[in-house]
Amino acid sequence: MLIKLSGGRVYDPAHQIDGKVMDIYIRDGRIVSRPRDDETIDQTYNLSGKVVMSGAIDMHTHIGGGKVNIARMMLPEDHRADPSQHSDLCRSGCGHAAPSTFTTGYRYAEMGYTAAFEPAISPANARQSHLEMGDTPIIDKGGYAMIGSDDYFLRMLTAKKDQNAINDYVAWIMHASQAIGIKVVNPGGISAFKFNQRALDLDEQNSHYQVSPRDVLKALSRAVHELGVPHPLHVHANNLGVPGNVDTTLKTMGASEGYPLHLTHIQFHSYGTEGDRKFSSGAAQIAEALNKHKNISADVGQILFNQTVTASGDNMRQFANSGLASPHKSVIMDIECDSGCGVVPFKYKDKNFVNALQWSIGLEIFLLCDDPWRTFLTTDHPNGAPFTSYPHLIRLLMDKSFRNDMFSKLNLDAQAMSTLTSIDREYSLYEIAIMTRAGAARLVGLHDRGHLGVGAGADITIYTDNPDREKMFSKPDYVFKDGELVVKDGQVVKVTWGHTHTVKPEFDRGIEKDLKQYFDQYHTMNMENFKVSSDEIAEGGRGGVVVQACEGRRDKSL
Amino acid sequence: MSALTFTLKKDLAQKLDVSPLTPDLLAGKSLAEISATLLWYGKKQIRVDEAFEITGKDTNEIVFDQSTSKIDYIGSGLKTGRITVNGDAGAFLAFQMQQGIITVHGNVNDFAATEMAGGLLLINHNVGDYLGGALVGNKKGMKGGTIIVKGNAGERTGDQMRRGIILIEGNVGNYCASRMLAGTIGVLGNVGEYVGYGMRRGTILLTQTPKLHATIQDCGIHTMPFLSLMFKSFSDFPSKFAHNNQNRVHRFAGDIGNDGKGEILVLK
Repeated sequence: MLIKLSGGRVYDPAHQIDGKVMDIYIRDGRIVSRPRDDETIDQTYNLSGKVVMSGAIDMHTHIGGGKVNIARMMLPEDHRADPSQHSDLCRSGCGHAAPSTFTTGYRYAEMGYTAAFEPAISPANARQSHLEMGDTPIIDKGGYAMIGSDDYFLRMLTAKKDQNAINDYVAWIMHASQAIGIKVVNPGGISAFKFNQRALDLDEQNSHYQVSPRDVLKALSRAVHELGVPHPLHVHANNLGVPGNVDTTLKTMGASEGYPLHLTHIQFHSYGTEGDRKFSSGAAQIAEALNKHKNISADVGQILFNQTVTASGDNMRQFANSGLASPHKSVIMDIECDSGCGVVPFKYKDKNFVNALQWSIGLEIFLLCDDPWRTFLTTDHPNGAPFTSYPHLIRLLMDKSFRNDMFSKLNLDAQAMSTLTSIDREYSLYEIAIMTRAGAARLVGLHDRGHLGVGAGADITIYTDNPDREKMFSKPDYVFKDGELVVKDGQVVKVTWGHTHTVKPEFDRGIEKDLKQYFDQYHTMNMENFKVSSDEIAEGGRGGVVVQACEGRRDKSL
Repeated sequence: MSALTFTLKKDLAQKLDVSPLTPDLLAGKSLAEISATLLWYGKKQIRVDEAFEITGKDTNEIVFDQSTSKIDYIGSGLKTGRITVNGDAGAFLAFQMQQGIITVHGNVNDFAATEMAGGLLLINHNVGDYLGGALVGNKKGMKGGTIIVKGNAGERTGDQMRRGIILIEGNVGNYCASRMLAGTIGVLGNVGEYVGYGMRRGTILLTQTPKLHATIQDCGIHTMPFLSLMFKSFSDFPSKFAHNNQNRVHRFAGDIGNDGKGEILVLK
């Protein structure tokens, strides 16, 4: 079947195409070059005047795994208040902040997203995460394996094992948990919490292992780089949400000693201590440092005002914030002695000084960072806001007067502390396409997604240009997933199943000898059962594993 | 004007959710509009006139005739007016009711008066479990109002109850007033085991000493003048409680496993 998308205005930053009117051809789920004149075109969509982009990619969103399920269980009120009906095509579901798996897939697709990545797969929980993502229809998915506070790794650091051994372990974890990246959350801090430390700064030691977060970051960022994993180490830094943590974040940028790092939800790590209330914006310093350090990328983790739930592996910080829970309940727990989890429901209010300033800080970071290839649009769903609020966020970035109107409704003290209104920048469609498509695909390492070049998977979103960007981005005209029309006029018209993206770096299998011994001695499960196989993911008939290239394997350290 | 009457004509195979049929939601609507209102019936929606024969006009006075235990959410969120149920009522009767009066001339299913906040609920026969409790996962049950039950009540009556009065003339099952936060429950008949299990504050008024679990403590026999005042406040109720005026009681305190500020008073 040959489909022609005719005459749309195309934004494809991967090929420097900025609003050029052109035709796109799709055959068998892929974008193909212009066919010969004698070939019959089966279907033509006349897209004159429409905006054509590749399907959007959310590179950091909590859509599967233990803690999302805890959030679902803990918040029946969230589900009761937002039911979605079953239809001939779609299963029923519910949930605003922590939607059910099916609803997550439909809502992402209806917003023009075709891929989403779960950033915190605890390897012990990987099977659960993949099962949940296997129930998430239409979109592609994948995840980052969360290590850095696990016993085996910290023992390696304590024993000063050499980098090659660490690389092998990291690669083994990526295979075992079917991950496309490695994430570290509060490096060493999740473990330190269990040894009764309630805060851990970059150069502070984990009291049990005598390892500092800096050691963890250095070892892991180097491992990820040397293994040739395209996605740099995904870092949720120490001291999340603590006023004054901007210093920690700036130091963290230097901690990898030049290896690439991705700092996630950086808004939560950009707080100063100025002003009467000892809480201020560190956005300017952060943006300046980001502009300078070309090896660092960041997603923002914007907050938006409403009820949501914060779900994180960072048990240390979540425990500290559990008193602020609204409604008043929370779960802080250990997972298999290797990681942790904290789920705290939260309501962001525009009249609250801190929340209002958090909102401004996020936007300041967006607007002060020059390079959209290294800045990504997220709300850290559901921690800052549910992903369904992305269209609103895009409007805030693209429409200065709208932004300033919203700003004028904030807490007055927070307004006085922010420089947001002095920033004139408005994002262009091209820049939005970079942040949510081309840049995200490049960052995650998806070689055939996020662009509209020949050979790419035909994940394509078509919008009607509308000065109200919120309207425009919340209801695309058409969404194609692998060449099939899945959404029309913002409604799912066909339910397909996406792929699970992974990378499989090479490593020395000899490490399994030592690991097996470790598992037999300490773990609750057998090492062979710990590993999630590709067959398991594919066997439900709901999309298989795609192994993205893990090229450019850098020389192993000697 | 005669009461707006919904007479059940359909043989219900599924549960029918009648939460849209309350005086405040129907006020000012024509017969055609009321007939066309959609109700959840199992996983489908049906029109009101598919399930009910509709007669009468006064939306402030609603009657359900031939009602069965398949009809859920009668008087849900009631803000004003009066609802009368001739027959049985299903689950979630008077759900989050705020004001007004609901009278049931029949038996009532589980979860009646869940998170009720005000008004009067009068049940002339028996009622199921979790009377005046909270929705699953929520932390506070009934927050106000009065419930009078002429028959028996099931288990977990007043579970997580926060405020208000529940008066039961018959017997109550196990775990009466479990996890009670505050409020008053009176029972003229027997109560089952574990009365006041995990209760934090609140008052349970009984006529016979029940079997008590270990974390409820005997505090001796006292004369409590406030009881005369309380019974006086009951004097208008259409209930046997209206004729009581004793104030000498055997007092038990508990549950000391959870703060222990609640009390069980047994009339002497």
